[in-house]
Amino acid sequence: MKAILTDVTKCIGCSECVSACKVINHLPPDKPREWQKNDGLSARNWTSVLNNDKFNVRKQCRHCIEPACVTACPVGALNKSGIGAVVYDSNKCLGCRYCMMACPYGIPRYDWELAVPYIRKCILCYDNLKSGKITQPACTKGCPTGATIYGERNDLLNIARLRIKQEPDKYLDLIYGEKEVGGTNVLYITSKDCSLDFLFYYNNRIEKDVKLLGQPDFNEPYPQLSKFAMNSVPIAFVGMGAVMTGIYWVINRRKKIEKENKGIEDGED
Amino acid sequence: MERINRFKFVLWCILGIASAVAITRLIFGLGATTNLTDNTPWGFWIGFDVMGGVALAAGGFVIAAFNYIFGKKKFQPIARAAILTAFLGYLAVVIGLLFDLGLPWNIWHMVIFWNPHSPLFEVGWCVMLYLAVLFLEFMPVILERFPNLNILAKLHHTLNKIRIPLVVLGIMLSTLHQSSLGSLFLTMPYRLHPLWWSPIIPLIFLVSAICLGLMMVIVESMTSSYLYKKEYETHILDKLSKIASFMLLFYMILRFSDIIIRGAAPFLFVSGWGTYLFWFELIVSIFVPLIIFIIPAIRKNTTILYIGAITGVMGIVFNRLNVGGLTHLNNLSGIGTFYFPSWMEISVSLGVVSLAMLLFFYFIENYKVWDNKPIDLDSGHTAVPKFNTNYVYLGTTKVTNRIKFTFAFVFAFGLAFAAISGEKVYGEGFHKTPVTKAKGGDTLVIDGNRDNYGVQFKHKFHSDSLHITCVTCHHLNKPKDKNTQCFECHNDMYLTGDAFRHDWHTSAQGANLDCFKCHKQGNSKGKEYLHNMKSVTDSCTNCHNDLIPANSKTRLLKTYKTVSYSDAMHNLCIGCHDSLIKSDVVLKARKPDLALCSNCHIKSQPYRKDKIIFEGVQKNKWVVLPGRIK
Amino acid sequence: MDSLLEFAKGPLFRFSFAVMILGLIRVFILSLINGFEAKSKAKDKVIPKNFVTKLTLGFILPIRAFRVKPVYSFISILFHIGLLLTPILLFDHALLFDNSIGFSWLNISLSGTIASNLTLFTISAGILLIILRISDKKSRFISRKQDFLWPLLLLVPFITGYVCGNVVISPLTYKTFLTIHILSGDLIFILIPLTKIAHCVLLPISQWITARAWKFVPEAGENIEKILGKEGQKL
Repeated sequence: MKAILTDVTKCIGCSECVSACKVINHLPPDKPREWQKNDGLSARNWTSVLNNDKFNVRKQCRHCIEPACVTACPVGALNKSGIGAVVYDSNKCLGCRYCMMACPYGIPRYDWELAVPYIRKCILCYDNLKSGKITQPACTKGCPTGATIYGERNDLLNIARLRIKQEPDKYLDLIYGEKEVGGTNVLYITSKDCSLDFLFYYNNRIEKDVKLLGQPDFNEPYPQLSKFAMNSVPIAFVGMGAVMTGIYWVINRRKKIEKENKGIEDGED
Repeated sequence: MERINRFKFVLWCILGIASAVAITRLIFGLGATTNLTDNTPWGFWIGFDVMGGVALAAGGFVIAAFNYIFGKKKFQPIARAAILTAFLGYLAVVIGLLFDLGLPWNIWHMVIFWNPHSPLFEVGWCVMLYLAVLFLEFMPVILERFPNLNILAKLHHTLNKIRIPLVVLGIMLSTLHQSSLGSLFLTMPYRLHPLWWSPIIPLIFLVSAICLGLMMVIVESMTSSYLYKKEYETHILDKLSKIASFMLLFYMILRFSDIIIRGAAPFLFVSGWGTYLFWFELIVSIFVPLIIFIIPAIRKNTTILYIGAITGVMGIVFNRLNVGGLTHLNNLSGIGTFYFPSWMEISVSLGVVSLAMLLFFYFIENYKVWDNKPIDLDSGHTAVPKFNTNYVYLGTTKVTNRIKFTFAFVFAFGLAFAAISGEKVYGEGFHKTPVTKAKGGDTLVIDGNRDNYGVQFKHKFHSDSLHITCVTCHHLNKPKDKNTQCFECHNDMYLTGDAFRHDWHTSAQGANLDCFKCHKQGNSKGKEYLHNMKSVTDSCTNCHNDLIPANSKTRLLKTYKTVSYSDAMHNLCIGCHDSLIKSDVVLKARKPDLALCSNCHIKSQPYRKDKIIFEGVQKNKWVVLPGRIK
Repeated sequence: MDSLLEFAKGPLFRFSFAVMILGLIRVFILSLINGFEAKSKAKDKVIPKNFVTKLTLGFILPIRAFRVKPVYSFISILFHIGLLLTPILLFDHALLFDNSIGFSWLNISLSGTIASNLTLFTISAGILLIILRISDKKSRFISRKQDFLWPLLLLVPFITGYVCGNVVISPLTYKTFLTIHILSGDLIFILIPLTKIAHCVLLPISQWITARAWKFVPEAGENIEKILGKEGQKL
């Protein structure tokens, strides 16, 4: 499975990846709209660079190994492709926007201004990679400092571990995306001074430090959350039918017997 | 029949408003009509139309279960009305959903493209099947009207025969999708407020839907009795409210025990948007109806019973609204935008509801939904109308209604149409970022969007050392101005601006010019005026010959539109810097990165002196870096 | 004044335009329904089709009318052409549609000179028509008060429009005239479906309606006698 590794310490914030993404996907210029989030992503911007004085972080679709959006989509318009990208089939989509609700990173965007709107997000340059036009996504190719690189997921994990091992003072001993929500195909390593928790959309939740009963671990894949409910659907369906038929049968029979008894009594009188 | 006609008049008004908004929604898209954002992709239409509508229609399966399965024949008089309400309710759900879906013409895709892991897939299928079941359950009422047609009579007979299996199937499907609507939110544990999100949210949804269904049957029965001046079916209402009180009690226990067991109890007592909503919802949806229903002496009073039922109905619908969009993360923690439905969203939803109500009245008046049909509107209308100079006789009640209702529709449509079109529709939701004058003396600080970060520009260095003249940058001077600054024409950070004040030139107080002073007629009949205006329109320089200084970078004024401030600055600076590297050998060697963004955008150099305030604001704040314009 | 002008151009114009279009459709459909209902109640269900078609065509293409009343017909036709062409096809009006409703016909619009000449013709034809209506005894007799008022109201936007476009005046009066022009235009839009001006869509079916509606309900006479309490009395 292919993946992208982004090294926050190496990023200089030149936004070349943003430009490269725009060029290869033919995205029109972006303008601030009322319905956009403040993280720079939009229907016309599939990746953005965030800056906090010292560090620059690139934001994009995380291409989860067990994606919540793929499970959520009722018509299967979102799919996990063979190389690991989460791709979108606009011909199937019906525009319910459940994927936007389900994404734990808050990534998918919508063409709010159009009468025929589609879901928009990074697709890891899947169509171009598949047709052999390019050998790696435009963003990693455009990066001048090698802050964001493309390769096999296992190789990249090894590279990340190696870098952390070599410079333990510089790097935070954590690979973002290795285990989060069941693992993602976009990995981050970062400096000790810069936590990347904010990339997780739910990091702003109001139950900050408490974990309530029933709430999942961050490492639990999101599709698992509705699995129990979905698995019990057939049981509930059949069970409800059986119970209702049973009740009907019992009550009907009781009534019949009552009637017969009454009939006999009437006859005797 | 004054009441029902007055009520229908109001419904037609709402329908008119909704139609105007619906047309706008279909032409201009979701952004122009709703307040939905990337933060809140689901809002009022999902919360009210879909989740509220499905729950409101739960009365159908509850009453059907009591009537046909449990053999409580007491409910027979209201069974048909309850099933009709459910059928129309589901129809309203589907119509409302068509407006919410981005691509409504693809709604049938759920039939052929399957993803059985998705809760929404299951809900969709259940709603489709249940709509069909309800249709079959209600069919006999329509078929009764045609006893003479052989095929229809046969169909009627068959439907009556399979009624019990249909009812059982209806109950099975309802149980599933009423609870699965809750399962939709299982995958977003942190998006919802912890008082609402729960692993047993499907069960909570099912129980509350049964409560709502019972209360809705009460409301529906009493409202139609009131409107048609029929006597209240007191003994049925009493029985229903008693059952509803038990269900509400169970719902309350379930809700509170869930919150306490999960450990979310502390959130009951912190102040905040979510907590207020929760207590309001609880009072309206549980406490008020529960107190009214549980005490027999109180619920005997029909007015109070009605108040209790309608409060409960609104309360549980409010619960669906809360889950559907009002208590999401962006409304709670202040990240992103705050979602509250726009008037257009609300009016479309109300319009769909009024449509369902009008259909309900149509069926009540024309088919045998009740044991006794309501009195015909035109019966007893043989008397000659009295002549009255203040009163225009329009015809029989039916004709009068036709005239009045259509008029109400047209008038309301016009009002809504007048109110809709505005910046939101035509401006497609741009928010303006006006730019200000660059600050500083010789060293200018170019800070367009006023975020206290500026790019420093050394005037003297550029003009002296690099031997470029003023007109390279100051490429256009407004009339009677010597060095017009950038922000005067490029007046928005990201949007295209207007350098030419068209309204001033045409207004009588301004230049008071005729259109054809500049737009030469000749062969110009509109089309050219829009699409090829250069050929028939005079340039500004025809009158203002001092507009463009000699040797300026911009030589010809092609259009009076200006690019955005950021585009203008980037083009000007990057273009020059790029060409300098290419031409100047020395510079190329000394400064190879002359045209890099970071060369000018040095983030660590704020120009504001009061650093303390500045650092407080900036701590842990992530800002988006601008991309290069390609 | 400026805000009033903006209001009249924007929301009020959209309101009146929507009311006009939908109102005309409403009037048309209601008339059709009334016609069908009248037939279903009537005993004699035969309508003279050929005669109705002939009459309708005669109203739409008034060739015969020219022989009977040449002056009146000519003025009337001139008035109608001006009434339809000038407001719809004038370039400025096409721009107004473009700005406030979103569609227009800029490429087939009329330029200023033709439009102002047409306006003058329309105004004079309208005044002549009113004079003819007053002078003729028969038409004065069948006219109500409002039947004199509508043509006058129709002339208001033409007169103010001509003044705005051609007469040199001070800025303040220009704005006043323009405001009156737009406001009266909006008023006319709203009134079209509610008054006799609705004949612009009803004309094709008016003869058919008349033919259908003027049928007596079976036993109508007996019913009237019964209600008046004069059963069995001799007339």
